[in-house]
Amino acid sequence: MRSFAEKMLAIDRRWIFGLIALATLLPLLYPVGLPIRPSPQVKNVYEYIEGLPEGSVFLLSMDFDPASKPELYPMAVSILRHAFKKNLRMMGMTLWVTGTGMAEKVISDVAQEMGKQRGTDYVFLGFTPGSSAVILNMGQDLLATFPKDHYGVPTSELPVLKGVRSLRDVQYAVSLAAGSPGIETWYVYGKDKYKFELGGGCTAVAAPGIYPLLQTGQINGLIGGLRGAAEYETLLERKGKATSGMDAQSATHFMIILLILACNLFYFVTRRKDTRRR
Amino acid sequence: MLFWKRQFPLFIAFVMGVVFIFQYYIPHPYSEGMLTEVSEWLRIITGFAIILGIASLSHLHYKKIQRKEPGWGYSYVVYLSMIITVVVGLWSGGKEEGSGLGWIYNYTLVPLQGTMFSILAFFVASAAYRAFRAKTREATVLLIAGTIVMFGRVPLGEYLVSNIGGLAEWILIVPNTAARRAILIGISLGVIATSLKIIFGIERGYLGGKE
Repeated sequence: MRSFAEKMLAIDRRWIFGLIALATLLPLLYPVGLPIRPSPQVKNVYEYIEGLPEGSVFLLSMDFDPASKPELYPMAVSILRHAFKKNLRMMGMTLWVTGTGMAEKVISDVAQEMGKQRGTDYVFLGFTPGSSAVILNMGQDLLATFPKDHYGVPTSELPVLKGVRSLRDVQYAVSLAAGSPGIETWYVYGKDKYKFELGGGCTAVAAPGIYPLLQTGQINGLIGGLRGAAEYETLLERKGKATSGMDAQSATHFMIILLILACNLFYFVTRRKDTRRR
Repeated sequence: MLFWKRQFPLFIAFVMGVVFIFQYYIPHPYSEGMLTEVSEWLRIITGFAIILGIASLSHLHYKKIQRKEPGWGYSYVVYLSMIITVVVGLWSGGKEEGSGLGWIYNYTLVPLQGTMFSILAFFVASAAYRAFRAKTREATVLLIAGTIVMFGRVPLGEYLVSNIGGLAEWILIVPNTAARRAILIGISLGVIATSLKIIFGIERGYLGGKE
């Protein structure tokens, strides 16, 4: 028995890799579609956007790079669909230089799908260096921070930015962040000084670190990881990539829990034998 | 000479530090104008930091090649990738859409970063199997909390055990938030202390060189 437990504890990691690969692949090939219950944190973001009057200025900062695409891209798609559906004046940007191409793609794809016009219904400001200084600068003078949009059109000529001088004119901002600069940066340098409402979206691994901001009301809602994105899709009643990935995530979580339980069982068997021997 | 290298930078740090502590509490147009000006300068300086980053990266890999350190061949890949990206970027006029730069971004950077991140799931599972053991009381608490959160945050967990989602939520909102807040307060106090040390010239590491 002991030799078996010892063998299992020292198992070749390629077996574990194989099990995880199966747990990911099988649900993607044969989806079950278990129901997803939206959490209050995600509902808060959804309901705030839902409650914004038509023509309100909404800022979406896509502060992530391709590494976090599977979790944050579906979030961006859902939020953009929601904002365009509500006819909000949409401002998109990124504080991550490696996220510029993705952010441009998601905003232009969703805008095209929803029949929105660049410059009239939305603007993509793109990237400018400075991270926290960019937020401060936008709070002081938004058009001076971004004299031209991502495509080189002067921002002062864009109908979508009519009457928008600084972050004080933004009704709601959401930062979809994979790290820093991200949600905390937007709170410290943006919301705290320029008094706009702020929501957040982040990777699952970063979500526990954002909870203190949520509880104090420093952010009004949080979309955490693929699960959060799937919850938003559920609220929007439009299933997408996040919902389809939830079965795979369920199976991999379940597999990891089984592996942890098995390793602890084998560990106790070997430890008990060691104690008896002494 | 020592005045320009030591006293003058310390004087600038002191004046700017003190002025901008008070600036935060004075919403006068002059004060706001000053903040606008400084935030623009900050962005310009950050832009120049990119040049510093490229210089530092190039130097690091030059040393690796010079010393023939393990994996030194990959340093040539860094140089090659950097040169190709810069040349194609300049040729594309910095535009990503429908250009060579966009091709590099979509077909090399996006899949490479995606692959690196997705590999993490496999290593996390392997590491959890080897290291997540109930060896002590503290480790057992962490193990139980981790298992509940992992199980409660997926639809399968909520489907099998109806209240597990609420329990996972409670762990995240109460004990997790309390621990994170303690860490945040500690970090913030550290940041305040370091800032004051820089403003008053006690911490001089940013000046570089020897005292």
